Amino acid sequence: MSASNCLRCCLLRPSVVGRAGATAATAKASAAATARLRQGMPLAAAAAASFSTTANRGANQKPKPGTKAAERNAPPSIRQGKLFTIKKKKKNDSGARVKSPLPGERKAFRKRILLSNTNALPVPGLTDLGAESMLDPSNVCKVLSLPDDVVDQLRADEAFKTTQCWSMFRKPSILIRTETVDLITRMHAAAKTNKTLRLVLTGDRVTGKSLMLLQAITQAHLNDWLVVNIPDAQELTTACTEYAPILDTEPIQYMQQNYVLKLIQAIKKSNEKLLLKLTTVFSHAGLPQNIPIKSPLMQLANSAKEAEGAWAVFQAMWQEMTAQGHGRPPMLLSLDGLTHIMRISDYRTPAFNPIHSHDLALVRLFTDHLSGATSLPNGGAVIAATNRNNAPRNPSMELALAQREAEQLGGGKDVPQPQPYLKGYDERVEAVLRNVQVIKLQGLSKLEARALMEYWAASGVLRITVDEKSVTEKWALGGSGVVGEMERASLLTMRF
Amino acid sequence: MPPRLKVWAACRALSIRPRPLSARPPLRCAAVPVRTFADSTNTTNTTPAVPASKLPEGYEDPEPESQAKKNESEHDDNVLQALDKLKMISYGLNPFDPAVEGHKYGLPQLPLPSPMHMKHRYDDVVVQLTKLIMRDGKLSKAQRDMAMILNYLRTSPPPKINPSKPLMPGSPPAAHLPLDPITYITIAIDSVAPLVRVRALAGAAGGGKALDIPVPLAARQRRRMAFQWILDVVEKKPSKGSGRGMFPTRVAEEIVAVVEGRSGVWDKRFLLHKQATSARANLNYKAPPRRH
Repeated sequence: MSASNCLRCCLLRPSVVGRAGATAATAKASAAATARLRQGMPLAAAAAASFSTTANRGANQKPKPGTKAAERNAPPSIRQGKLFTIKKKKKNDSGARVKSPLPGERKAFRKRILLSNTNALPVPGLTDLGAESMLDPSNVCKVLSLPDDVVDQLRADEAFKTTQCWSMFRKPSILIRTETVDLITRMHAAAKTNKTLRLVLTGDRVTGKSLMLLQAITQAHLNDWLVVNIPDAQELTTACTEYAPILDTEPIQYMQQNYVLKLIQAIKKSNEKLLLKLTTVFSHAGLPQNIPIKSPLMQLANSAKEAEGAWAVFQAMWQEMTAQGHGRPPMLLSLDGLTHIMRISDYRTPAFNPIHSHDLALVRLFTDHLSGATSLPNGGAVIAATNRNNAPRNPSMELALAQREAEQLGGGKDVPQPQPYLKGYDERVEAVLRNVQVIKLQGLSKLEARALMEYWAASGVLRITVDEKSVTEKWALGGSGVVGEMERASLLTMRF
Repeated sequence: MPPRLKVWAACRALSIRPRPLSARPPLRCAAVPVRTFADSTNTTNTTPAVPASKLPEGYEDPEPESQAKKNESEHDDNVLQALDKLKMISYGLNPFDPAVEGHKYGLPQLPLPSPMHMKHRYDDVVVQLTKLIMRDGKLSKAQRDMAMILNYLRTSPPPKINPSKPLMPGSPPAAHLPLDPITYITIAIDSVAPLVRVRALAGAAGGGKALDIPVPLAARQRRRMAFQWILDVVEKKPSKGSGRGMFPTRVAEEIVAVVEGRSGVWDKRFLLHKQATSARANLNYKAPPRRH
C-alpha cells in the first residue's frame, strides 16, 4: 500500500518532484505510472520510486492521540519505572495431547503379574503338582506345574513377584530342588505331630528364597492348610501405612488397620473354601457386626469392611483359626523380607521416639510365633524368608542366622561370635532368632540346572541345545548355579 | 608305486603308555616305556633299554612283585584297549580322533563361529540398535534395555500384519515372529528403513537455492535412520507405568506398531521417498568446475 501511496503522492504533488530537481527520466516514469493508474492496472514496480521519502515520513508521523496505536508507541512515563513482564509460556503443540495416567495406574502397571505367555510352547509331559509331589525325593530335579486353582490362591496371597520370570512360560511351573523336599518334609512332619515348624530361609541374592516360600505356600494350599502370608514386610515398617496405638497395652503397641484390612481380604480370597466350611466357636464382642456362634468364618471375615475395626476382626479371626480341638486344619504363617522387621521401624511415638518393629502388633504376632513364645495349637509352620537386594543393614540378624547355621552343622567352636566393638546389635532380634531352623539356599546342582534348562528349551524360550557343555556354561555364568543369575545369563540376554 | 595297505603296520604305530603320568616311577633310563605290539602275548620279555651295568651305583629296582602284578593287569587293560582301537580301525573309524581323544568337551569348531568371538557375540543389528539406545556411554544399561525389548517381543501376541504396509519380502509369517525376537526387530527396522536420503546441495539450483539430490544409503545407514525415527516417536510417548522397564516397553510397543503398520514412522518413509522421487530429475547434476 505504501508503495502505491507513495506513487500517488508523487503524482498528486508535482511541485515536490519539481523542487527535487526531477530529471527527464523520472518525469517519464511518473507519466507511465499515471497512464497505468488510469487503465486500472496494479502498480508492481515499487522500486521505481526510490527517490521518494514519503514512506519515511509516514513512518515518522505521530499517530493520533487517544488511539490504540498511540498507546502502544508511547514511551513509558518516568513515574512508571521499569516494568518486568513475564512472557507467557508457549504451549507445546508438537504432538497430539495424550492423557496422562490416573493416580495409581502407573504403580498398578509396574506391579502387574503376568503368569502366561501364549507364544511359549506347551511343554509335553509337564504334570501338575499333587499334594504329595514335593515330599517325594524322586521328584527332585523335575519341573512340575502349579494347578490352576492354586495359582489363583497364590495370586491372592501375592506370592508371585514381578522380578520372577513367570511371564515367559505357558504355565507357571516350579523346579523341585533338594531343599524343597527338605523343607516340605519338615513342614509335613510338624503338622503330623501338631507342632510348629519355625524356619528361616536365607541365602545370597537371587538364590530362590522367595520361590522356596512360594513352594511352601503351594504345599499348604494343596494340603488344605490355612495360609496367612505377608508378601512384603517392608510395607509394615517403612511408615507407608497408617498406624495407631492400641489401648491398654504395656509397653504400648501399634496396629496398622489399613494394612490389616488388606490382609484380611487376601486371607479371605486365598482360603475361601476353608473359611466357608469352618464355623465360629467363640462369641466376639466389640466387632463392627454381631457374629453369632456357629456362623462360617467367611462371615466374620466379611464383617471387616472398613479400616476402622479391622484389627478387632483380625484378632477374632486369628482366635478362631487357631482354636484348639475344633478340627481346625494346620496353618502356615509366612513372611517375605525378614530383614525389614528385624530393625527399628520408621514410625515414631507421639514423643517422636522411634518405634521398634516388634512393637507393631502385626509384626509382634509374627515374631512371637517365630521365636516360639506362642505356638500354633493345630500344628503348622512359621516360615520367613530374608531379602538381600533391598535390605537394611542388620548385624544381629546376620549373626543369629550364621550362628544357627553353624549349630545345625554341629560346629562347636566354629559358631560365630559377636564382634566386641561393633555397634548396632539388637537383643530383641537375637531373642526372636535364638531357636529357629535355618535353610541356607545356594546354587543349583548341575542336574537341577539341567532340568531347569531343559524346561526352558522345551518352552521355546531358550534356543540352544541343552547338553553337558551348555549346562556347564550357564551354570558357571550363574556363579555356580545361582538360579537368578542363570536366568539372567540365558533368558534376559540379547543372545538367543 | 602306491604304498600297500597293511593292517599290521598300522598296529605297530600304537604306543601304549601307562595312564597317569605322575604315577610313573622316578625318572630313570630303564623306565622308558617299552613299546610292545598289540599281538605280543609275551609280557615278560621286557628287556631294559639300558643294561644293568650302566645304571648308577646304589640303584635299586623300585618294582617289587606286587608292582609287577599291578603292571601286568594294567598291561592287560592296555591290550584290551588296543584291541578296541583295532576294531574301530576295521570299522573305518579313526581311533585317535583329536576331537574326542584327550578333550573333555571335544575340540572347538574351526573356524570359530562368530558368536564365539568376544566382539561378535551378539547379532549385528542388535549391536547397532543397542548403541543407538545408549546414552552417556552406559552400554550395560543399553544392553539391559535391549534385552527387555526382545523379551517384550517374545511375550507379545503375534502381530496382525497390515497388507497396505508390507514388510520386507521373504519375511517369515507373523506367527513365527514372537519366538524369534531378533528377526522380529530386524524385519521391523528393515521394513521402514528408507532407501535413500535427500541431500540438499547448497547453491546448486542457482540464485543461492539448494538443489535436492537423492543419495542411496547403505544397509547400516538405513537401519540407523529408521531406528532414529522410532526413537523420536518413543521420546514423545508418555509411559504407562513407572520404573526402569518403561523405556524398553515403549520402544517395543513402537516396534510392534511398525510391524502392524500403525506407526507414524511409515509416513516419514513415504514422504521421504516421494521427495526423493521428485528430486531424481536432479541426479544428472554436475558440479560446475571450481573457479580460482
